[in-house]
Amino acid sequence: MGRPYGLLRAGFPFLKTLGMRRLTNFPVDIALGAEGRMYILCRQEGAALVRKYSFDDEDGGNFGSVGEDDGQFQWPVSIIADSEENIYVSDEALHRISSFNSEGEFLASFGEFDSGPGQLNRPAGMAFDADENIYIADSMNHRIQKFTKDEKFILGWGGSGDGDGQLDMPWGITVDELGDVYVADWRNDRVQKFNAHGEFIMKFGSSGSANGEFNRPTDVAVDLDGDIYVCDRGNNRVQLFNAHGRYVEKFIGDATLSRVAREYMMTNASPNRIRDMSVLEPQKLLRQPKSIAVDAEGHLFITDTGSYRVQVYQKEAIHLEPHQFAPPMRSVTLHQE
Amino acid sequence: MALFWHHVFATGLAKNEHILSASIQLEMFRRNGMSDMRTILLDLSRDPAMIFWLDNNENHNGEPNENYGRELLELFSLGVGNYTEIDIKNAARAFTGWTFAQSPPLYPHGYYASEFLFDADDHDNGEKEFLGHRGNLDGGDIIDIIVEQRSCARFVSRHLYNFFVADEPQVPTWNDLPPLDPALIEDMSDAFLDSDGQIKPVLRVMFNSDSFREARFKKVKSPVELVLGVLKMVSTHDYFHPGLAKYAESVMVVMGQKLLDPPTVEGWHTGKEWIDGGNLTERVNFAVGEVGDGSSPGIKQIVDRMIESDSLTSHGSFVDAALDAMGPIDVEDPTREALVQFAARSEGDDDRSRAVRMIRLIVATPEYQYA
Repeated sequence: MGRPYGLLRAGFPFLKTLGMRRLTNFPVDIALGAEGRMYILCRQEGAALVRKYSFDDEDGGNFGSVGEDDGQFQWPVSIIADSEENIYVSDEALHRISSFNSEGEFLASFGEFDSGPGQLNRPAGMAFDADENIYIADSMNHRIQKFTKDEKFILGWGGSGDGDGQLDMPWGITVDELGDVYVADWRNDRVQKFNAHGEFIMKFGSSGSANGEFNRPTDVAVDLDGDIYVCDRGNNRVQLFNAHGRYVEKFIGDATLSRVAREYMMTNASPNRIRDMSVLEPQKLLRQPKSIAVDAEGHLFITDTGSYRVQVYQKEAIHLEPHQFAPPMRSVTLHQE
Repeated sequence: MALFWHHVFATGLAKNEHILSASIQLEMFRRNGMSDMRTILLDLSRDPAMIFWLDNNENHNGEPNENYGRELLELFSLGVGNYTEIDIKNAARAFTGWTFAQSPPLYPHGYYASEFLFDADDHDNGEKEFLGHRGNLDGGDIIDIIVEQRSCARFVSRHLYNFFVADEPQVPTWNDLPPLDPALIEDMSDAFLDSDGQIKPVLRVMFNSDSFREARFKKVKSPVELVLGVLKMVSTHDYFHPGLAKYAESVMVVMGQKLLDPPTVEGWHTGKEWIDGGNLTERVNFAVGEVGDGSSPGIKQIVDRMIESDSLTSHGSFVDAALDAMGPIDVEDPTREALVQFAARSEGDDDRSRAVRMIRLIVATPEYQYA
């Protein structure tokens, strides 16, 4: 199924909240598995782990710990899952990628610190393409590198700067179903799009807090309609753009209490009283969100890092055929039919 | 200046247990620390971390809590001997109703910022007398009156002198012991009063003074100053990487300074009270340990400079090159002589190893403990 000719955007309501403090502490990234399984990467100073979780807000245990040995993390940044649900985690302090099976058993790691081809300096975001090659945002080398799943270097592009195709500490990265690559060009406050060979296609965004502007974007995701989501961490929001990079709308947070949070509150009298004394509006909002993920069902997952949870939205869009969607118009109009 | 005001307006995490409020208070000091005393005291009196730390959230109309009013006068602005107990009581009444809005609890979604709230229903609107002024005074009026006092100008000036120039005795003794440089404190106080409490003119007078120019071995480094000075020299944390937090969480703590958590509202006792037998060992061992790695970028650079400067031609020039490349650092003659003796003893050793050992010796000298 290809991309739709047009979209009737019916809505994008908030769906649910997942996780809470202690369970999903400082979630920095999320990988989606089959049947509602998910793997939430949690990182703070002195603690790092992967929380196995479910779409039903159920804890499935965790794996990983702080350290430098096999299977340990120092400063993990990104987590992705392959088709067999093996898990890959990048670590910007150890300059390596570690892999685990879905049970959390350590499989292997690769990565060597430096700036030569195939070497890494603070690897950040990662993404698989359809052939399960891995793209890595090699942040302090200001480039993107592509590897086979068995660690063979394929190609790299970028270089420090703010020109087209240049990067300044790239963070998040994603690959759409057509094989094109999107990069959250963190310190340039923009998103760049490349083809699978690293050739520049387009860019959008600039520094600021208005619609379509960014304050240090940390992640990017693309759904099957070609819509582009950008995690605009410094502005505490996620912005949605169409496939051409035109701003559509933003998500600032609508959280409710998750199932696990409600269970916790039922047995804790003091927080209930304090909550009753306070204004709850801020509790809905995103705080320093770091990453996003989308699935084929139209779910948008946002790791709400500063509030120890994941916020989930549900896209409601109807695909339009050419007879339902007028041809592109060169000019705007006040004439409404 | 944020660190300076954190010293003066000591607010403790041990009681507050709300790291976000502590962070917001520090941001406030960064924002207003170079402004004027009225702004600084007004912001401080509206700061939730301070309000909770000194119980002003429990300072109610008809049931005043004097804690904030007392410390505002004693430790934050005037100093003992420059107000009466009646002034304290009336200052407390003036700050009734200065509280903060309840923020959501820590669980399930983390800390949320609190915001200042003036509860008019809980404010004492009665007549009050404060430092000779009479009327329905509120907190803002109290601060206006404070900032007009020469005792406030002297108090702030002496704090600045203590932080930047030379160690004064501890604050509680200031009513009994004169400043080290009374004339400079008076000049700084004039600048304070002439500028309506602006901080920059006071600093300008201080930094242009003979006392500042001639200050040498007059100030014991605080643990923060010592640790950050060493880390800047070794350059191992020019970029973020794991391990930086330990310096604040443990290294400085064993030396007697836990940032964001001063021992009391009086803050840290400074000067020679930073040093006792136990933490002197910690200070020296820390510095020696950090500079001992000849491969760290900063030490490598210092050693390169020493070797490139042809300092190896004599023992004295070897010592001087090390002192110059590390700072420059001044040392007393006996210390320099001891360093020269080491240079003589180590002649013939590998140049780089010898240079690193010289650097280790220098950070172990008494002079290195001084700013």
